[in-house]
Amino acid sequence: MKKKRARGRSRTRPAARPATRPAGLTPAQALWLELMPFYIREAWLLDERRLTEWLALFTDDVLYFMPRRKNVLRRESHRELTPLGDLAILEEDKRYLEMRVARLDTGMAWAEDPPSRTRHLVGNLEVAPLARGEVQAKTAFLVYRSHLETDHQLLSGCREDVLRRVKGEWKIARRTIVLDANVLLDKNLSVFL
Amino acid sequence: MGATRKYVVIDPATGKIDRRIFSEQAVYDDEMARIFGRAWLMIGHESLVPARDDFFHTYMGEDPVILTRDGQGRLHALLNMCRHRGNRVVRCDDGNATRFMCTYHGWTYRNDGALDHVPGKSEAYYDALDRDSLGLVEARVETYAGIVFATWAKDAPSLEAYLGDARWYLDTVFNRRDGGMQALGPMKWLEPVNWKTMVDNCSDNYHVPTTHLSSARMQTRFLGRPRLSHKDQFESPNKHAFVNGHSITFRDADDNAPRYVHGISTETFQLFQDYHAATMAEVERRLGAFRARRVQLGNHSIFPNGILGFRLALPRGPLQTEFWHFVLVDRAAPEALKRAIRIGSQANNGAAGMFEQDDVDNWRQVTAASASQLGRRYPQDLSMGLGHAGPHPEYPGLVSERYISENNQRLFYQRWEEFMNAESWADIALDPIKARFEGTATLRG
Repeated sequence: MKKKRARGRSRTRPAARPATRPAGLTPAQALWLELMPFYIREAWLLDERRLTEWLALFTDDVLYFMPRRKNVLRRESHRELTPLGDLAILEEDKRYLEMRVARLDTGMAWAEDPPSRTRHLVGNLEVAPLARGEVQAKTAFLVYRSHLETDHQLLSGCREDVLRRVKGEWKIARRTIVLDANVLLDKNLSVFL
Repeated sequence: MGATRKYVVIDPATGKIDRRIFSEQAVYDDEMARIFGRAWLMIGHESLVPARDDFFHTYMGEDPVILTRDGQGRLHALLNMCRHRGNRVVRCDDGNATRFMCTYHGWTYRNDGALDHVPGKSEAYYDALDRDSLGLVEARVETYAGIVFATWAKDAPSLEAYLGDARWYLDTVFNRRDGGMQALGPMKWLEPVNWKTMVDNCSDNYHVPTTHLSSARMQTRFLGRPRLSHKDQFESPNKHAFVNGHSITFRDADDNAPRYVHGISTETFQLFQDYHAATMAEVERRLGAFRARRVQLGNHSIFPNGILGFRLALPRGPLQTEFWHFVLVDRAAPEALKRAIRIGSQANNGAAGMFEQDDVDNWRQVTAASASQLGRRYPQDLSMGLGHAGPHPEYPGLVSERYISENNQRLFYQRWEEFMNAESWADIALDPIKARFEGTATLRG
């Protein structure tokens, strides 16, 4: 994998190109097979700290959004997630995401220098076609973060993405990350999900 | 001083601080009683309970408290503890309810705290239970510009006296507009840090060009913000001021510079500038020309645990603090401006904020060092700017000569000592209100 990386741009091409559909698969199954490697690859990019390549997985108009999650009564479950417009944990456009990634290369982003050791486990993929060729993709994740000597955290949650094809490659046009925590038990949230 | 002085933790002549106050359980237990059981504490904002029967769950120190607006529109701060056994009667973060039922035995309280219903009142209690004396424990509540404060101390002074001349500065952010502010949040997370370090850091502008340089550089590169350096900070005309335990840093502001720091970029600058210009007449009417035009509140803390605006450092044991991050925006600001502030603020502050995430590992080592038997033999050194602060002809409080100074931190720990050694509020000094509060703005808004 490392060798391939050295060969220039083609390395960033995900395995998400429209492929000939293997016989016997429904379109939904074929889409699933196309997207699961996309998410596996994204997880490796994050865990191997290849963040510039990770950034290239997002469209220029991306909204990277992590609402807060509240304790509310079951009958008020519609209020559990804070809507866009309320204070979010993250409400980022592409430029702010780029700032976050570029910051890590300054040598002075102390929350991540020395860097965290992470493991993104992403699964439970469900895909559903949307209008205009976009696709909704839901995944669940467990992200383990180990930092410095003994700090460690387990972040659990789900992501709901809207994917769009740009020049033949799938890109994330919108990502909503829902953590399963109310009070975050982590000293900070300095890794990407 | 009524009793034997117990806490002598800072030497005002040298700025040396005994590290044990950041790690010892016994000190922490005293803090809960003598500081958090006594001071006016920020607990919420009126906009979090806008309608009758709304409630918002909050804390006073470690104690869970329900901020309610009752059926008559009055605010209450009620200890979230059933008077029977002690179960919480509210488990939600917020909501709307006229009554709170304990899920253990069904004792039910009205949202003004009165015990309304006890199952088996006659059959089990023989009508002998004195319900009137068993309402939810209620704290005193007052508001400042929509921010709700509460205290357990019956002998506490008024909130106006408690804030004192600090309000002269705080008004420049919290009391600018006729329509008041709206609180968004909170985002909540745990940091392995003693609460006092977060609070004293609010006056620590010295750390900014080291701790936060990576984020500042990115703001310059991506948002067109001015460069930040130690030199700029050392030569800055800005100052610190200290009143009644409240630590203020402020800018001697340029007349026409927009007042916000979060969300300003090359693209949004005009939006901020236009808003600033459009609202200046109103702000001048409310605050007087000097405060409206020349004073810009910077980082600050409100004693004991209010942090940089309406944000809270909630103690969770000597070695841990739950941070509550809110954003306050002018209710009447245009949506585009609110959005810019909201996005800029989340990028800078909060658990994931680029600035704030870099603070934590510094602070937690300060706490860890204080827990070390060896480390605590060596006091913290807060000697910067000793002897270079005093009264000022234009600005209320004890004012430092320079922007980079540890004067506020030293005074914060002296105030801490004063609370810890006091037997009652009678032992705690309050600076008289001396500032001229020009304009129409009042304590209430």
